[in-house]
Amino acid sequence: MKMRNLMGGLAALLLTSAWGTVAHAGMYDGVTVNIMTFTGPQIAEPLQRHAPEFEKATGAKVNVITVPFSDLYTKLLTDWSSGTNSVDAGVFAPQWMGDYIAGGFLQDISGWVAKDKDLAWDDIGGFFRDFSAKYNGKTYLIPLDGDFHMIYYRTDVLKDAGLAAPLTWDDYVAVAKALNGKDMNGDGTPDYGSCISKKRNAQAFWFITSVAGGYIQSMGTGQGFFFDPRDMKPLVNNEAFAKALAVYNETTKYGPPNEINLDVGDTRGLFVSGRCALAMDWGDIGPLAVDPASSKVVDKVGAAVLPGSKEVLNRDTGKLEACTAATCPYAIDGVNHAPFASFGGWSGGINANSPDKVKEAAYAFLSYVSAPAQSNVDVTIGKTGFNPYRTSQFKDLGPWLKSGMSEAAAKNYLGAIQDSLNSPNMILDLRITQNQKYQQVVEDEAVSRFLAGEIDAAAAMKAIEDGWNELNDQIGKDDQLAVYRASLGVQK
Amino acid sequence: MAIATTLPVAARAGNGFGDWAERHSGRIMVLPAVLIVLAFAVFPLIISAYLSVSRFALAPGGYKLSFIGAFNFRRLLVGQQQYHFLGTFSAFGPLEWGVAVLAAAALLYWLYSYLISGKLRPMGLVGRLISAGLGFGVVLLTLATIVAGGFPGSLMTTLVYVFVGVSIQFSIGLALALLCAQPIRARNWFRVIFFIPLMVTPVGIAYTFRMLADMEKGPLAPLRFALHLGEFAWATDPWSARLVVLLGDTWQWTPFMFIVLLAAVEARPHEQIEAAKIDGAGPFQIFRHVTWPAIAPVAATVVLIRLIEAFKIVDLPNVLTNGGPGLATESMTLHAFIAWRTQDLGGSAALGYILLFVSTVTCVSFFNFGVARARRYQ
Amino acid sequence: MAGTAAVPRSLYARLFQRPDPASLAPVAKVAVYTVLVFWALVCIGPLYWVLITSFKQPITVDGGPYYFPFIDFQPTLDAWTYLFVEVGRDTVRPYVNSVIIALAATFAAVFIGALAAYALVRIRFQVKIAAIVIFLTLLVATIVAVAAFRVPWTIAAAAAIALFVLFLSTASRRFKGALGNADIEFWIISNRIMPPIVAVLPIYLMFQQFHLLDTHIALIATYTAVNLPIVVWLMRDFFAGIPIEIEESAQVDGCGKFRTFFVIVMPLARSGLAATFMLVLILCWNEYLLALFLSNANAQTMPILVSAQNGTRGPQWWYMSALIVIMVAPVIVIAVALQKHIARGILLGAVKG
Repeated sequence: MKMRNLMGGLAALLLTSAWGTVAHAGMYDGVTVNIMTFTGPQIAEPLQRHAPEFEKATGAKVNVITVPFSDLYTKLLTDWSSGTNSVDAGVFAPQWMGDYIAGGFLQDISGWVAKDKDLAWDDIGGFFRDFSAKYNGKTYLIPLDGDFHMIYYRTDVLKDAGLAAPLTWDDYVAVAKALNGKDMNGDGTPDYGSCISKKRNAQAFWFITSVAGGYIQSMGTGQGFFFDPRDMKPLVNNEAFAKALAVYNETTKYGPPNEINLDVGDTRGLFVSGRCALAMDWGDIGPLAVDPASSKVVDKVGAAVLPGSKEVLNRDTGKLEACTAATCPYAIDGVNHAPFASFGGWSGGINANSPDKVKEAAYAFLSYVSAPAQSNVDVTIGKTGFNPYRTSQFKDLGPWLKSGMSEAAAKNYLGAIQDSLNSPNMILDLRITQNQKYQQVVEDEAVSRFLAGEIDAAAAMKAIEDGWNELNDQIGKDDQLAVYRASLGVQK
Repeated sequence: MAIATTLPVAARAGNGFGDWAERHSGRIMVLPAVLIVLAFAVFPLIISAYLSVSRFALAPGGYKLSFIGAFNFRRLLVGQQQYHFLGTFSAFGPLEWGVAVLAAAALLYWLYSYLISGKLRPMGLVGRLISAGLGFGVVLLTLATIVAGGFPGSLMTTLVYVFVGVSIQFSIGLALALLCAQPIRARNWFRVIFFIPLMVTPVGIAYTFRMLADMEKGPLAPLRFALHLGEFAWATDPWSARLVVLLGDTWQWTPFMFIVLLAAVEARPHEQIEAAKIDGAGPFQIFRHVTWPAIAPVAATVVLIRLIEAFKIVDLPNVLTNGGPGLATESMTLHAFIAWRTQDLGGSAALGYILLFVSTVTCVSFFNFGVARARRYQ
Repeated sequence: MAGTAAVPRSLYARLFQRPDPASLAPVAKVAVYTVLVFWALVCIGPLYWVLITSFKQPITVDGGPYYFPFIDFQPTLDAWTYLFVEVGRDTVRPYVNSVIIALAATFAAVFIGALAAYALVRIRFQVKIAAIVIFLTLLVATIVAVAAFRVPWTIAAAAAIALFVLFLSTASRRFKGALGNADIEFWIISNRIMPPIVAVLPIYLMFQQFHLLDTHIALIATYTAVNLPIVVWLMRDFFAGIPIEIEESAQVDGCGKFRTFFVIVMPLARSGLAATFMLVLILCWNEYLLALFLSNANAQTMPILVSAQNGTRGPQWWYMSALIVIMVAPVIVIAVALQKHIARGILLGAVKG
């Protein structure tokens, strides 16, 4: 009897050893894990696909609850802060981590991660490992996806015009200007030089950060972008940000006429249906561009690291000064790039107030989804919404080629991602307490009014600065400073 | 609304349950409705009142509410968010001063005539003062933000949606009803088809119109070149953006006006119309002397119902433009919704209360001065 | 004109004058039909666009306007198969939820509302103002005690009720002012003015206390409450329009008020009930904000699912269109079936308003 049990257990262990960490068959029998994310298919589809596999292996039932994307943050917050606790885990943006940790809602998983071999923690890109998943030195999230902005360009159109992929924002504007009005999809109507989302209350406040990044941050992630980590002064009312606003505004001239009402879904759609020469987006365009059901530009798309700047902000004077080896140590060919990990990359976090067994099961599931065996396949499928974030995902071109990319396209796309991921100067998205008020309310409103012509650049910058200072005072400037420095990993 | 004659209270002797129920039948019948309204309306109002004077913040273990007095209200009306709520003001020119003085004079005269009318009552006076005060405030705001060239805030935008929208919907609905009341065939078919827009969920309508208004891939895209609109994008100009929101709103709510007004027009006294025609009256005269008095009470009521609902508009501006360009299409409910999404529960509740105040004053004023007057035709 | 024997009419007369008093002149007829058909196209057009979009591939949607299936573009069943096969469970569940919640809430609202409306029309009420003031004061005090001073709500409620009874008997002897039927009606109806956003979070907290979040009951109760004012408003005038002699004779025959209401009055108000039912059903079926707050997965309704198709990739028009189509179709069918009642019902309800 005992022998049979032992053999059975051993067999199960062997069978599940492909992914099993400390889990084994039947370990979580009777346990139900409620995971919340937004309605897919992005992000939700891979979770829903892996749930039955996980259940077969461990007995835990995983319920994937989906809510509208725009309401995910509030739903999680309401559920956890009101004590309802019907959600055991969530797959959400790491940027929201600050608020959830402030209320004590997220489980510290540092211990589990340290013991977890199958998670291949070191395979995860340095930035996500060291900044995105951590807070104040402790690990709270398991990365499932890599989010950052890149620019995309039409290789055929640029080649015909004899232009190279832009390296600085001035180049970008020049290329957009030169190509605006050309017919790029063969339907006889003029198309657009640049398509960047500028819609109110959508993603504009991330895109302006992408533009401003290279002008403001040059000494590595720890230098911070939104505030000066020395005194919590907002870095938005200076020559650098003014230049960024000017660039952001000027691209409107070379884009679709209703660009200020386009969100990123619209600009993405425009680009893959062949109507833009340049676009800025997350990693989605890559796999989308090779899908014949949605793309007219199969194999005509190149990707590049976010353009940077040859000048960088002097934080004491507020003026721009030319890049030198001292001020821009990470410059490439004299251009300071600061890839922006906007939003952070969908990651899984666990509710600290769920029952222990449920928490373990939730961790095991998230670890399973993130493990290279599953993740490396998922990131090549556009529908999953998962973009590459592990080093091993760049080494093996196989799954990419299988998904339909040509070798050149795959190398180019992955190369751009790799350059971004490996950059030591990546910008960490703002994750202080109530960052939504800073970005979505104050910054987005001011930028939107600026783009609509209601106020000029100086007034917009002042509005953001005043708004951020007021929020700092309301919430407590010293507290925010401590939180900000903790998020950047800055040691006192 | 005089009560029809009431039934006599059954003078039942007897102490059985049935008799007890009969004696208290009125209270038993009304009680469920009253309890439900208490639980779902009065109770939340009190809680929201408390929220509007406090600040919400996350804290370990949940959240904490700290009392901050009228800070949220002050911020909206005179403080940092004034540009968002009331708008950006421009200086008054002679035109604006002239209109303001005229409006003040008219309102004062109206109050004065009430004072000397002999039917003076304290509640009536207070009500009129509030209405006059709010009305004058709106006039000033309109002058400062729209006429003089400033930027309207969410309050003015909501009022534009309500008044312009309801007027358009009423006009189109009345026109359609009058046309449909003519001797034509297939009236029932038209009635059903015209009713359909009302049945689509507002969120669905909002997304549908976003598709339709898309000048790149929507069905009206070819029109853009035909009409030589070329580079013009409706979403970049504040007024055209508001117009598109109004178009969606009109599409959705005109059927409501139409259905009710058609039934009213069909219920006109036919003998009067026959008599008028025999006397040689033209269509306009028939309308003025027969049709309009017959439908005035219904028209007033249906406009009141629509006014009440119109203040709550949120789905269309949210989906079409997210409140943009700038702040141009943001209604008050959308403003409150955005505040709520970023954990500003106090600000959201304050906005909700101001909206409640404005819509209550408007609707009650309209009821007292519009509906009551229309009823006189009966 | 008509009736005159054998006088040939001029072209002008033939075009612009009525052939007989009961019909239109030809030009007028053409004009009227043109306008009506135009507006009918305006009503149907957007829905047609939605329908064909549900049969398009993403590339067809993004590529520009295509109007006619098989002529302009190749229709595909991709969106439909995805919704009903791949994520079938997640499409059918909200649909069933919508049906259950809307029907239950509508029946409840119409029943409770009609009962209340009848009572307000036929029975005289006198509610002492003193009672209302005391009630409100105690309610506020209870809430403050529970929220600020952490008094357990059962104790606070019991104390409040006791105090209420105590004060009521003394105060009602002192202050004679009372509110009548018209005021109660106005109070119930005026709750429609309240913007839902004001009430949403407190209602959420209330259901959370009773562990009723994400259940059908929560939404049914909330929708009933939100739509009661409309039912009372519309039904009130139906009942007022029924001749009181019918009910009086029933009473003489020995019918109690309840029996009179259910057996005699309700059947007479059939068309009003149908109209009110239809209107409330539409409102419940299409409601978004309250469903968003009060439901997660179990009680998710269709409007939420429609809105959720707007993801990080932008609105997925093809899925959204298919969902809108299946949302609108049954409502249209019911409306066609009930359409005669609706018009008559709303009219009568609106006249006395």
